[in-house]
Amino acid sequence: MDYNFLKTKRILLVDDEAELLNMVVSILESEGFTQIATAGSVRQALSAAERFRPELAVLDVMLPDGNGFVLMEQLKRNGDFPILFLTACGENDDKFRGFGLGADDYIVKPFLPKELLFRIMAILRRTYKKEDPFVRLQNCTIDLSRAEVIRNGVSVPLTAKEHNLLSALCRNAGRIVTIDALCEAAWGDNPFGYENSLMAHIRRIREKIEADPSHPVSLVTVKGLGYKLIVKAAGENERRNESFG
Amino acid sequence: MKSAPKLIRQYLAILLFSTILLPVLNLAFFMAVTSRHVSDTAPWRTAKEAAQSLQKNADGYIMPDEIMDKLHTYDAWAVLIDDDNRTVVWQTPNLPAEIPTAYTLSDISGLTRGYIADYPTFTGGAEDGLLVIGFPKDSFWKDMSPTWDYNLIKNAPKLVLTLLLLNVSAIFLLYLAANFTVLRSVKPITDAIKALPAGEAVYLPEKGLLSEVAADINRTSEVLQSQNYQLRRRETARANWISGVSHDIRTPLSMVMGYAGQLKESPRLNAGEQQKVSAIVKQSERIRDLINDLNLASKLEYHMQPIQPAALNLVAIARQVVVDFINAGLEDKYSILWETEETLTACPVTVDKNLIRRALNNLIQNSINHNEQGCNIFVSVTADQDNTWQSPQRSGTCSITVSDDGRGITDEQIDRLNHTPHYMFCNENTAEQRHGLGLLIVKQITTVHGGSTTISRRENGGFSVRLTLPSA
Repeated sequence: MDYNFLKTKRILLVDDEAELLNMVVSILESEGFTQIATAGSVRQALSAAERFRPELAVLDVMLPDGNGFVLMEQLKRNGDFPILFLTACGENDDKFRGFGLGADDYIVKPFLPKELLFRIMAILRRTYKKEDPFVRLQNCTIDLSRAEVIRNGVSVPLTAKEHNLLSALCRNAGRIVTIDALCEAAWGDNPFGYENSLMAHIRRIREKIEADPSHPVSLVTVKGLGYKLIVKAAGENERRNESFG
Repeated sequence: MKSAPKLIRQYLAILLFSTILLPVLNLAFFMAVTSRHVSDTAPWRTAKEAAQSLQKNADGYIMPDEIMDKLHTYDAWAVLIDDDNRTVVWQTPNLPAEIPTAYTLSDISGLTRGYIADYPTFTGGAEDGLLVIGFPKDSFWKDMSPTWDYNLIKNAPKLVLTLLLLNVSAIFLLYLAANFTVLRSVKPITDAIKALPAGEAVYLPEKGLLSEVAADINRTSEVLQSQNYQLRRRETARANWISGVSHDIRTPLSMVMGYAGQLKESPRLNAGEQQKVSAIVKQSERIRDLINDLNLASKLEYHMQPIQPAALNLVAIARQVVVDFINAGLEDKYSILWETEETLTACPVTVDKNLIRRALNNLIQNSINHNEQGCNIFVSVTADQDNTWQSPQRSGTCSITVSDDGRGITDEQIDRLNHTPHYMFCNENTAEQRHGLGLLIVKQITTVHGGSTTISRRENGGFSVRLTLPSA
């Protein structure tokens, strides 16, 4: 998938350090972002938000005329767009507070340009992705929206548990998902003692998606840790986009 | 108060001992005093002896010299009253003038029981009459009517015993009452003394038997409280200072890292410049990790780190940390091997997830940092027998071991890690201080969870750290 269209999204940066704003602007511009606005205070941010109508805001927590959490609430009242906090407060409770109020992510200063771009792209992808319900694997295609697997022109339905498991694996395509995270995806919070059930479900998924379920190529086991879904085309795209040149 | 029963036992022992000892002592004293008087001067015996010794011959009556000497010693006089005509038929030379020479039967009955003209008299039966010895006035006191109710004498042993018992119980009760009053006033004081080392504020009402001690304890508590308060204030100030410094460093360091990171990606730099910029990026990342660690270490040390414990599965936490490392893309020369038994699926613990993850992160990162040539890193979780989630007996421990087969560690280094004070908490100006915050934080984290950290060498020479946590 091509994610370059995300770089035309309007981004509002709010920080009281002009130098830092300049730096973030230069990081974003060198990556190809074209619509960037900046503000140095809550007041400026609110008026900029009205004119600029951002599609993503990056906020500092400590501002000369207020704090970022309050600013976020005011911004959210005017429009629903994702918010990323960028702050020097590295404390845990600040973090929870930010997420509790609906922040989409949180970066503690100092940070590398790569990290910032990765988080911004991840949020934009999540928020403004073009709906592509198809996940292409080596031997089949999964249609998550209809909960079915299309293999050799034949569609095989997925059960609810299989759908939950595959969704979790697709969200993390190419990465290991732990046994515990998969159990949580299928059975909810604090799942214990479901490991054997999980193995049974994985076996059934493999029967639906693998050419040879005994020698899986798409849904591979990482012994003792979890499972990994190898996605064909989308996986390659993903990697190219996340490496940011 | 744990010592109260002991105290009461001691009191009882003393009480019993004294109630037995007192009568015995009294009796002994009484006997010692009276026996001397009674045995030598028993006047009845003297009278009887004199009566038997009196001899009658043709001239009249003769008293042996030894008896006469004895009477003389006592300054006593004697008369013999004839049986038939009740007149004095013999007398000692020292007979006072007021002593009559003839007696009626009632006179005789009176003198037997009591006195003649205030001289205490004692009688003994002689051959033909009654021998009467008169001792000097005021030398003896005679009970004139020694008559007792028969039942009283018959029940005397019982009566004495009852009296004794009553006396003993009276003493006992008095003693007990007195001691309990003391004990009652001592108890709040011992409680307060016990509370002082725990750092609790203590206030005792300053009244009663031990009011002065109570007042002293109150003052001690005040002093301790104010010292604690000062200490806490200083510790808070220190932690705040570290937190403030690390906060203030973050923004300028962001610029360094941001621009250096941007430069690093620039295609216009030559190889040498690339290397230099990479070094700047790498070192600024080190500074960032350091301020994060410094902040966390000081907060943990001064109990300012909020801990949010929850019932969690230690296996899942460890697994996620390992997977995060692998997913983040580990260099090829490193590999992380999961060595937990397949059968161990859950290990219940009550922990702050973020802190435990931080500890594991530090350990794995340590192995990577200290083995630039590359190494295998082994992570395993173990639990005591019967410690799975399903088991009803949920006591015991869960452990995570992170080890590597890298450069390893010498015995001296292990010793140093275990015993040399860390520079953060070293109060001596010595070069023998430990640096590096990674392991310090690991230790602090296991400590706040009530666990322990064991640093050792792996079988084949690598480094190994084991975190043991109490299971939930």
